[in-house]
Amino acid sequence: MLDDEDEPSVRKVKGKGKATDGRKRDKGKSKAKEQPYAWEATYTRSWDTVQEDEAGSLQTTVRDLIARSRRRRLIGPASAIRRTIIRHLVLILDLSASMTDRDMRPTRFDLMLQYAREFVNEWFDQNPLGQIGIVGMRGGIGERIGEISSNPQDVLKAISERHKLEPAGEPSLQNAIDMARSGMRQEITIIFGSLTTCDPGNIHDTLDECVKDKIRISVVALAAEMKICRELCVKTGGQFGVALNEGHFKDLLFELIPPPAQRALARASGPGANPAADLMLMGFPTRLPATSPPGLCACHGELKSEGFLCPRCAAQVCDVPTDCAVCGLMIVSSPHLARSYHHLFPARPYHAVMALDEASAPSATCHACAAPFQEKASQAGAPASEGVSPLGRYRCSACARDFCADCDVFVHDVLHCCPGCGK
Amino acid sequence: MDKPSHLSIVLDLSPKQWHLAAQPGSPHPITLATFLSHLLAFLNAHIACKDENSLAIFGALPGKSILLYSSAAPVDDGDTEPADANTYRPFKLMDSIIMKSITREIDALGEPETEEPIGFVGALTKALCYINRVTTSNTTSGDRGVDPATLPDPRILIISVSPDQSSSYISVMNSIFSAQKLASFDLFYQKVTIDVCKIFGAESVFLQQAAHLTGGSYIDVDRPDALLQYLMMSFLAPPGLRQLITVPTQDKIDFRAACFCHKNIVDIAFICSVCLSIFCSPVPVCSTCRTKFPIKTLQRLNASRPNTTPGTPRPPTPANSLPRSTSIAPQSLPRSTSIVPQSLPRNASNGASTLR
Repeated sequence: MLDDEDEPSVRKVKGKGKATDGRKRDKGKSKAKEQPYAWEATYTRSWDTVQEDEAGSLQTTVRDLIARSRRRRLIGPASAIRRTIIRHLVLILDLSASMTDRDMRPTRFDLMLQYAREFVNEWFDQNPLGQIGIVGMRGGIGERIGEISSNPQDVLKAISERHKLEPAGEPSLQNAIDMARSGMRQEITIIFGSLTTCDPGNIHDTLDECVKDKIRISVVALAAEMKICRELCVKTGGQFGVALNEGHFKDLLFELIPPPAQRALARASGPGANPAADLMLMGFPTRLPATSPPGLCACHGELKSEGFLCPRCAAQVCDVPTDCAVCGLMIVSSPHLARSYHHLFPARPYHAVMALDEASAPSATCHACAAPFQEKASQAGAPASEGVSPLGRYRCSACARDFCADCDVFVHDVLHCCPGCGK
Repeated sequence: MDKPSHLSIVLDLSPKQWHLAAQPGSPHPITLATFLSHLLAFLNAHIACKDENSLAIFGALPGKSILLYSSAAPVDDGDTEPADANTYRPFKLMDSIIMKSITREIDALGEPETEEPIGFVGALTKALCYINRVTTSNTTSGDRGVDPATLPDPRILIISVSPDQSSSYISVMNSIFSAQKLASFDLFYQKVTIDVCKIFGAESVFLQQAAHLTGGSYIDVDRPDALLQYLMMSFLAPPGLRQLITVPTQDKIDFRAACFCHKNIVDIAFICSVCLSIFCSPVPVCSTCRTKFPIKTLQRLNASRPNTTPGTPRPPTPANSLPRSTSIAPQSLPRSTSIVPQSLPRNASNGASTLR
């Protein structure tokens, strides 16, 4: 399974705090975050690296950025990534007063939210059938911020509203873990910025429960190592790390993205981990609307209208993905699987058109969005950076149609399907 | 709703399917000409709703797809129709441009022996690219400093008469996901709604999923002769207003997928655990990621196939004539959850027709 340009290369730069972020749309932001460890820091300001040209315009720099991302795309697939089937994760965010500390810029809180968003995106990319729920620790209680969901948009929406998540009060590990534990959750990831926890009972009881339920807890601490955090991770087989700086924080967090089976290869295989590739039987259900006559669901025995029908035995189940309670078939919704297919069949890269060939009668407009192309090459004097067409034309090698720069970016970053050839 | 709304229409212009739809044998025949007169009235209504409303029409023709009309394109006043006292001039202009381009494209088709598959994916992806251009304030071509508040609220309406092409499964799914993602760069909750109006032909599994995943509605038109009613009542309101106006929703959503090996639409499939490729029968090696599967699994799956998966060994169906969900097991079982809802589609969609 091939990886594409969307995957940040952080996994390869473990330990070295250079989070080179491959994502195009946070390009500007991530540039500011690229920096070495604090002790080897040469203080770089991102705005110094942007050079104006003679005319005082930033156009050349912008073009350069585009060219760089194009080149990265052309280099293309590198490592193979294996995607897991079903994973349930609860992400616990520390929303206590200690998150307003400014030792990580701009604040721990803002940085955490930004990385949490990237984490969620990346996580769903690699675990298409997974589900994420979000719990916050604030004012001594655990707070449900996002319901467990398999739709990245829902999860992102839950953590997009900053004003609703304003840090306050003390965190409580026990309350948050208890809240996250309700239901069948396999993994808990905690981002912890505080040095205290105020719990109503004995947190070691909670820990024992987690060990019993085979819940894996991982903690990324932002302040310092706490014994209880370390113990949570060690006893449940999770990972523990203290972030040294912004880049290292991201590394620690993103190390938790690859599925446990992959990480368990080095260790003894974890609970339920099956490293061997296999062929699985799955069924795609039919969804019943809320207006259908109620039926007894096979999983809880409750009378419900909404639900999914197992394609093999026609039993009604409440939610997918799941195993059918009657015939044991794994029932998944096919869009969940399809979410990762653009990795398998990426759109072909377009190449930049350097000069127009009059004989081929070039089209006057972009084949996709019908925006007119510019007539002549812009800025004849400007240094022609490779990968950028002076005419703003990018051509698909399969269907030989021309596309504008916006559509080129859109097709390869979002759409993953060429409008000209449909592949 | 203060924001203007942008409507992109993906118009299925398959000559073969329209010919079939117009056959007098079908219960409610509709000709392309009748359909277009209904559609134009609907488009005029959309433009009339708000001054800034915009429109783009993409035609899916055999083997190609094309932008038929865009309200952003400059109008050349050279050879316009003579003014008509009974028609508002901008409507008249728009109608004549649309009709002309459709006539031109259909004439250009000629009369080929066999019809190429319809360029539906091309039209849909173009509609998305177009929406991407009109909704994102541009960074690369810089000259448009548009205030994000005035950017239009986009949606897509697919008018379909053709059956699913299972070969385009991945492309359609990719388009659906990009519609979900498209507007999410600054606002996480906004997305492009895809509405589907199925006028003729078998129910489309992929379009059902498209409408479901993007929060649109899928409407199978029972009485094509009353098409305008469906269009006006269900598709005229922008998604923001849909909560207030109860738009008929889908009854059942079929989550089936097309397998990679034979492009069959399957309800029970074999999945590679590494790359999640879908196969309709057990294969020793994954054709996508070259993973070899253990012999034991193959033997087990093969052994269990005849009695446990009666749905799978369906005769391979030709790509263009996919039957409606024909899983054998559910129908033969006494438990009738699958049978009762069968009566619902009628009722639910009658909701639209009783408005008449």
